[in-house]
Amino acid sequence: MVGLSEGEKHFIRGGIAQDLRSDGRKRLQFRSISVETGVIPQANGSARVRLGATDVIASIKAELGKPSILRPDKGKVSIFVDCSPTAAPMFEGRGGEELSNDLSVALQRCLLGGTSGAGAGIDLSSLIIVDGKVCWDLYIDGLVISSDGNLLDALAAAIKVALSNTGIPKVSVLGASSDEQPDVDVSDEEFLQFDTSGVPVIVTLTKVGRHYIVDATSEEESQMSSAISVSVNRRGQICGLTKRGGAGLDPSVVLDMISVANSVSQQLITVLDSEIAAAEASEE
Amino acid sequence: MATTPMTYSPSQGAERRQKQQQMRRMSQELDWKRSDGRSFHQCRPACLQTGATNAASGSAYAEFGATKVIVSVFGPRESKKAMMYSDIGRLNCNVSFTTFATPIRGQGSDNKEYSAMLHKALEGAVILESFPKTTVDVFALVLESGGGDLPVIISCASLALADAGIMMYDLVSSVSVSCFGKNIVIDPTAEEEACQDGSLMIACMPARNEVTQLTLTGQWSTAKTNEAMELCMDACSKLASIMRSCLKKSANLSS
Amino acid sequence: MATSARGGGEGEAAAGGGGGGGAAAEMEVEAYRRLFPVAYFERHLRESVRLDARPLASPRDTSVALGLVGSADGSALVKFGDTTMVAAIKLEVMTPPAESSDEGSVAVEFYMPPICSPTVRPGRSAEVAPVISKQLSDVIMSSGMINLKDLCLINGKASWIAYLDIYCLNADGSLFDAALVSTVAAFTHLEIPLVSVSDDGRVVTVPGELEGKTKLPLVNKDKRKLMLNNVPFSLTCGLHKEHILVDPTAEEESIIETFVTVVLDTLGRVVSVYKPGGSVLAYTSILKECITLAKRRAQQLRNILNESVSAMEVDKSS
Repeated sequence: MVGLSEGEKHFIRGGIAQDLRSDGRKRLQFRSISVETGVIPQANGSARVRLGATDVIASIKAELGKPSILRPDKGKVSIFVDCSPTAAPMFEGRGGEELSNDLSVALQRCLLGGTSGAGAGIDLSSLIIVDGKVCWDLYIDGLVISSDGNLLDALAAAIKVALSNTGIPKVSVLGASSDEQPDVDVSDEEFLQFDTSGVPVIVTLTKVGRHYIVDATSEEESQMSSAISVSVNRRGQICGLTKRGGAGLDPSVVLDMISVANSVSQQLITVLDSEIAAAEASEE
Repeated sequence: MATTPMTYSPSQGAERRQKQQQMRRMSQELDWKRSDGRSFHQCRPACLQTGATNAASGSAYAEFGATKVIVSVFGPRESKKAMMYSDIGRLNCNVSFTTFATPIRGQGSDNKEYSAMLHKALEGAVILESFPKTTVDVFALVLESGGGDLPVIISCASLALADAGIMMYDLVSSVSVSCFGKNIVIDPTAEEEACQDGSLMIACMPARNEVTQLTLTGQWSTAKTNEAMELCMDACSKLASIMRSCLKKSANLSS
Repeated sequence: MATSARGGGEGEAAAGGGGGGGAAAEMEVEAYRRLFPVAYFERHLRESVRLDARPLASPRDTSVALGLVGSADGSALVKFGDTTMVAAIKLEVMTPPAESSDEGSVAVEFYMPPICSPTVRPGRSAEVAPVISKQLSDVIMSSGMINLKDLCLINGKASWIAYLDIYCLNADGSLFDAALVSTVAAFTHLEIPLVSVSDDGRVVTVPGELEGKTKLPLVNKDKRKLMLNNVPFSLTCGLHKEHILVDPTAEEESIIETFVTVVLDTLGRVVSVYKPGGSVLAYTSILKECITLAKRRAQQLRNILNESVSAMEVDKSS
């Protein structure tokens, strides 16, 4: 963890109270975002997102699989996050496991919607090829390379960019008999673009003292009393929410934090959109 | 799934799917009877009891409908993990399920997600300064999973902590709601949870009006979030008074 | 041991002082119990009384309740004093192996979750749990309690596998005895679901309301209950010096020198005798006495189980 002296702690808290954080930002201002796509050639889609010194990579791999018996009309998505030991000394060995689990669960909650599949950021029914027989299994892997706070927001942004960068091979079904596994032909030339309009972003509000800030660095995170991660989509609807432990919050504060996160997220989506467009333009 | 090769439970499949489809149809309509006859905003009857196991410093058993949970609290005792001195105590939470808790036989292993969530829900309420250098272990075993497992575990765990005499700012009670289209139903059963559009769970300290844990899945508009939160907070404070009377009863019995 | 010998002398002094009553004396007894457990224990034995005020040869209060786990096909809760066991059976369908095509099987697992005892930590299972699993499985098989042919559905195609999972909720000694009673009780309570075979060859359940309406052939209409033959019951006797302590608690188990577990079936035949190491040699005369005690206990357990069955039937009819 970050070892801070009393004076440094006081300085961070004081800065936040006066709306001037130690790196010169305002409370609701993100660090500069840099986005790079197609960083892993063998994946179907990938992206690297840097938020200040926080550096994460998301990769998407699509494989043919069989839909589950309970949901024959939907594909499957699994999300897994790994914290590289290079990011922080405490991730070495099994140290990063708990954080990896937390992040994976939070991302699943935000991206996959309710158990019925309603409200999912990724439309699972678009992954189906033959009902009950063949579907795409989407493996979303996040990797934390360098950690300086706000990992969840960075990972969610990386996944959103990676999905927009993902091409899924076109599949044509050959001779489907009713009870056997149908033969499919996977094209290696034609790719379908993924619809990412519904994929939400995550905004984490960290409460320090009486105020809350976005995009906290690890120094600032060490001073938090509590934090809420809200996932919001383009239409301003909440798609998932997790409270990050810590002290209790008054319900009215929670609601206020949600509405602040909502307005901040719209700015973030705009920034990401233009970054995606720029990254695509540079790739071509 | 099962460890021995190729065995299956005969009750899966068509029958279950049909039930789910029926449930989905009903949820679109404005007024329908829930399978156990409750109205939308009615919780299952709660049965709580402290002192379920005497090997522990404190324990509690909770039965909400078909959901049955038992929680033991050990400690404060010597920390196994952190050897360094610390001004505050450590709260260690673990949740596991029995193999027969779910309709499909499971592996009966630890549930890391629930363990982490339980920890987050309780850490804001427990006064960690009151047991420096030591650990309090909160172990939960879900005997039967009948829906709303996590809220029941949280409420039961805070009752067990109180039974063990661990200092807390307030009891933590927890309630979840499911959303189906326009409808919000409180304290869902496992059947309802399997086809919900979204869910919201609150763990709070009612006397202090503070939320210790809040999770939400699915798409929610702000207005609906407000409504669901109010509903949960109200149910939480009612649940807390039941928990309080349960503690009073056991205190009277022992004195 | 030097400490226990010295403790013995002090023990008499403390016990004598304890007779005077008062809070201070009470504290001393409690401290003495923790500091010199063996001397404290032996002082009790000399008066032929146990730490929990039981006579040496009497077991703890025993209760059996059937059908507590709704999600299982058969279940039971058993209490020996504070030792608590929950056993549940879930039936699944398997394809029987070729060499025993007309038999089902039973898979037994005994669990000690961290809630049962302060010594068990999550992630590391208790050492005794797999030992008890194996002993239970051996006793069920060798006693011939269950005829595995009764678990057959369609010869060579499908048979039942009964997953029996026993959870110890509170470990306070005599775990094997309590686990065996819960096993027998869960099998007594077991109700085999009515099944038929669907078009694709899978076995599916037939819900009660559809009985008689379904077009599919019913496979096991007359095999809904398991016949239990030769029900085994067991008794653990703690041996310490010349004393025999029936149904020891966890505290006693930690002090006593060794123990003998005797398993008897309905006809009074010995199914198994288990004595781990330990310093007291079990003379034949002591073993004989243990068997006599076990016979008495088996009869008692049989009565308690029968009572619980009739209690459940009353519950159902009312």
